[in-house]
Amino acid sequence: MMRLTGDVELAEGLPLLYIKSLDTIVCSDLHLGYEGVMASRGSFVPKLNFRKIKEMMMKASKAFGAKTVIVVGDIKNEFADVHVEEFNEFREFIGFLRKELGIGRIILIKGNHDNFIDRFRQALGFEIFAQETLLGDYLFFHGEELPKGKGGKTLVMGHLHPAIAVYNKVGVKEKIKCFLYGQIDDGRNIVILPAMNYFAEGVDVNQEHLEKMAPIFDSMLDVDEMKALCLGEDEILDFGKVGKLRKLR
Amino acid sequence: MIEYYKKPFSRDESLGSLNFYIRDWFEKRYRNPTPPQLYSFKLIREKRNLLITAPTGSGKTFSAFMAILSDLMDIAEAGKLEDKIYCVYISPLRALNNDIYRNLNEPLDEIYKKLGGSVKRISVAIRTGDTPQAERQRMLRKPPNILVTTPESLAILLNAQKFSENLKSVRYVVIDEIHELANNKRGVHLSLSLERLADLVGSDFTRVGLGATLHPLETAAGFLVGYGDDGKERDCYIIDATWDKKMDYQTMCPVSDIVNASDDKIDESIYKTLNSIIKKNRTTLIFTNTRSGTERVVYNLMKRFKYGEEHVAAHHGSLSRESRLDVEEMLKRGKLKCVVSSTSLELGIDIGSIDDVVQLGSPKSVTRAIQRIGRSGHRFSDVAKGEIVAINRDDLVECAVMLDSAKKRKLDSFTIPRNALDVLAQHIVGMALMKKWKIDDAFALVRRAYSYHALDKKDFMMLIEYLSGSYVGLESRRVYAKIWYDANEGAIGRRGRLTRLIYFLNIGTIPDEVSVNVYGEKNKWIGSIQEEFLSRLKPGDIFVLGGRLYRFDHSREMKAFVTRADTKIPTIPPWFSEQLPLTYELALEIGRFRHDLADAIGKELRETKGITALLKNRKFTGGKTTQEMLDAMPMDKNTKSSIISYFAEQLLFAKHVPNDKLILIEKTNDEKGERNYLVFHSLYGRRLNDALSRLFAIEASDLFETDVGMMINDNGFVLVTDSSLKISKEDISRLVANVASSDATRIIRANVRRTEMMKRRFRHAAVRSFMVLRNYKGRQISVKRQQINSELVMRAAEEISPDFPVLKETYREIMEDVMDLPRAKEILKKLKDGEIAYQIIETQVPSPFSHVMVTFGEADVVMMKDRRRHLRELHKHVMQQISKRYG
Repeated sequence: MMRLTGDVELAEGLPLLYIKSLDTIVCSDLHLGYEGVMASRGSFVPKLNFRKIKEMMMKASKAFGAKTVIVVGDIKNEFADVHVEEFNEFREFIGFLRKELGIGRIILIKGNHDNFIDRFRQALGFEIFAQETLLGDYLFFHGEELPKGKGGKTLVMGHLHPAIAVYNKVGVKEKIKCFLYGQIDDGRNIVILPAMNYFAEGVDVNQEHLEKMAPIFDSMLDVDEMKALCLGEDEILDFGKVGKLRKLR
Repeated sequence: MIEYYKKPFSRDESLGSLNFYIRDWFEKRYRNPTPPQLYSFKLIREKRNLLITAPTGSGKTFSAFMAILSDLMDIAEAGKLEDKIYCVYISPLRALNNDIYRNLNEPLDEIYKKLGGSVKRISVAIRTGDTPQAERQRMLRKPPNILVTTPESLAILLNAQKFSENLKSVRYVVIDEIHELANNKRGVHLSLSLERLADLVGSDFTRVGLGATLHPLETAAGFLVGYGDDGKERDCYIIDATWDKKMDYQTMCPVSDIVNASDDKIDESIYKTLNSIIKKNRTTLIFTNTRSGTERVVYNLMKRFKYGEEHVAAHHGSLSRESRLDVEEMLKRGKLKCVVSSTSLELGIDIGSIDDVVQLGSPKSVTRAIQRIGRSGHRFSDVAKGEIVAINRDDLVECAVMLDSAKKRKLDSFTIPRNALDVLAQHIVGMALMKKWKIDDAFALVRRAYSYHALDKKDFMMLIEYLSGSYVGLESRRVYAKIWYDANEGAIGRRGRLTRLIYFLNIGTIPDEVSVNVYGEKNKWIGSIQEEFLSRLKPGDIFVLGGRLYRFDHSREMKAFVTRADTKIPTIPPWFSEQLPLTYELALEIGRFRHDLADAIGKELRETKGITALLKNRKFTGGKTTQEMLDAMPMDKNTKSSIISYFAEQLLFAKHVPNDKLILIEKTNDEKGERNYLVFHSLYGRRLNDALSRLFAIEASDLFETDVGMMINDNGFVLVTDSSLKISKEDISRLVANVASSDATRIIRANVRRTEMMKRRFRHAAVRSFMVLRNYKGRQISVKRQQINSELVMRAAEEISPDFPVLKETYREIMEDVMDLPRAKEILKKLKDGEIAYQIIETQVPSPFSHVMVTFGEADVVMMKDRRRHLRELHKHVMQQISKRYG
């Protein structure tokens, strides 16, 4: 286990975090139903994502024993509608959290992929917020828009799918998912979560132009000054500041 | 049994075997049968399987069809000709289909004019992707007696519920241009179609294969006929008429001093040489190895000698179909003086009469050289004339040995992809769509095809599992499964409403060829490259685009990202993916030649005043042995003198000339001292060196704890490291020992895993296996989308099993078809056992034999000027060293 702050913990190699004061597991970008949607368009991607997500949640629950789960957006994949494959996995996921992990409270921050999901709120029993919400000292927001709330000491964001691109000695590129941790210009802390989705390898934050992907990098946040905490095999690896990784090749 | 048929029948026996009317027409038209026809008329009439290889002008088509038409005419005369298909003709090229259609109807028209209406007309029809719907409907109602088609259309017809009924009557199958099919997945696909057709017919038919020469012909015949259920190859006679046509060819070097001649002088001499050949002949065909080279030659010929568009034209794959057809038409009418082509005119399209074939740069294979030169001399009695014009010393040696091998009839061999699982997946889906199959019956059918004869039942079952959707839960199989499979019953069959549509819309083996946009800093668009070239790039590779140098960083989807690299030297030439690799047999042959010639020249240098002659810039002409050796080979004077000084310089400078049994490992650096080179003179062809260089680079980077760059070509490879790195001879020995005893397959597999090659080739395999579709429910899916999705599929497949069929096939294709890992492993074993020796040398500047290698990235089609300058500098350095030492 690794402490990000006194109140925030990371678990070995998992793309999610635990907030003690809220007794909450926070994760992001699950994109449930992903393969089903792909298959309906002619790419028969084997199903793995949901199984992997359940395994990770199981591990996290064992490590932290939380009673609440917050998903910071993009629990499903489709913009236009709720695909039947998505609904099946979504329903199963909620049931899994309740029955297998004993989670009492499920909170969903709506992301750009989460349209039309409100209609299941009552039937499945979860709370839902559009774009952002403040809980305790934390402002949770998805990230495809700028955060509006001025409250909280720490911002928690998803959406970006951060990762670091590294090259091995013969020049073969590998991507490692990472958390980004730093401060925005008003002094509040910010942590950006890696994607839970198995298929999202991530965006190379040391190579790509992030301002196009998340507006926060346009005005409030310098990625070079953020620390990259990468997901290793059962451990979290501190890679230091992104700015320094940029020069690495 | 497969055997050569060596004794031709007499003229009377041959003609006597034909139907009266057919014979009458043939005799009036041609009088005498050509050599291949003296075998084929009678043998095909006896319904023997036949493989006929012969050059252009040998009457190949009629050698197959006169006998078949005779059979049909007999039937027609007996009043028994029905509206069903008796013969299927398959060629890889639609253009060829039109030629055949014309060539068959011509005798039929004339014969039936004479016959009047008394005998039923033998009908011929073309069926390709271009055939209009109305025509198809007509064909379904009234099938032709002879169906002219392509491999892809045949596969579709086999699955057409109604039309396939018409195929049950097939007695003959003719496969044309078999040399273009036997060595690739398209041919593998066809071989399965043939077995499915035989299964449909209920018995085997007479199979006739036609083509230019290839080697070994026994393998090509095996590919044609496949295996019987007794596990033995079906019978087939081979008729090899390749050598019955006289050929005259030589290697030419346009200038007397290839190293010191000025750029302009070399250019001028090349085009002068070309023009003198063009002027001597009515029509000349020039092959360049790349498309851009084709354009450049046409441009120069027009500019320098005032040829117009009506005299000189280009013909290559990047041109539109119409302009290619225009050029073909002009050729047929004998209007063009000269046509310049990359590879597109290799196929046997009817292009009229060609008097001379010039090859600019090495064709890289003896067989290909013969195939190309064989395009000239329209009639069989004409002499086929050809020249290879080469302009660097490695190429001169290569081409000289190549044509010498041709003279000695030592051809290099082709290989057929074996057990390709992606192609098989397509056919299993096709088979299951038609009926319910017992697994064992389906497996037996597949094993009748040559490329699948050794297929493992385990692999077959893994494919069945994959296709039946076992990799997803039951509830999703409705979407994922392409076939129905009952393990208890041991049977497969059709499944899913959409599968049929998927099959028809996604059939085929040729991957979509697309270009990839290249972006520089700040996402600025720079230009585009072919995807095939991208798949050859490794991060750090430097290449030329739009006249500037860029370093490749990474790719995403269909975009490549680069940074400017102004000071560096390119490591990979832009045509790398277009250039065919040197064949292994020819490489060994060159290695043996190097050994023998170096032996002779070494002695002669010591015995004569050779060294002084060389140093005083008077030509060292070699002694008697050298002269005799080279005089026996087809080359001109300039080539001879260039080769002699090349070997002499190498011997004086480095003491060693690498050969087939000696790998020279040369530790050296670039002239600026910026980079260290470790040059491996391993002349085994690029496919082997691709594998070898990776193994050495990986081991070197571990051993010396440093970044290692690579340059690869046919003659060897170069490991590039930083100049600060100090390596001793002992270190190099250790490197060799470690690599020689390593688990090569495992290391290559791990290394390939995250490369561009893997990403791209996996998409091809996934598309062929119907895992990622090109077209779904009639909607075209962009290549970019296919690429993104197949990368996801790949990750998931890796998670399921390293032996997931699509994954396994991709690795097989890369390791066996793109690289030649099996032979690379043989070389390593020989290195370990001492059967192949290695020698480590250290040089101040690269030795002459490494010059082409270290400047390889700079090489352009007709040589870029920068590279020539660089080569010349290197040469100057070497000569200074030699004169310091001996002078």
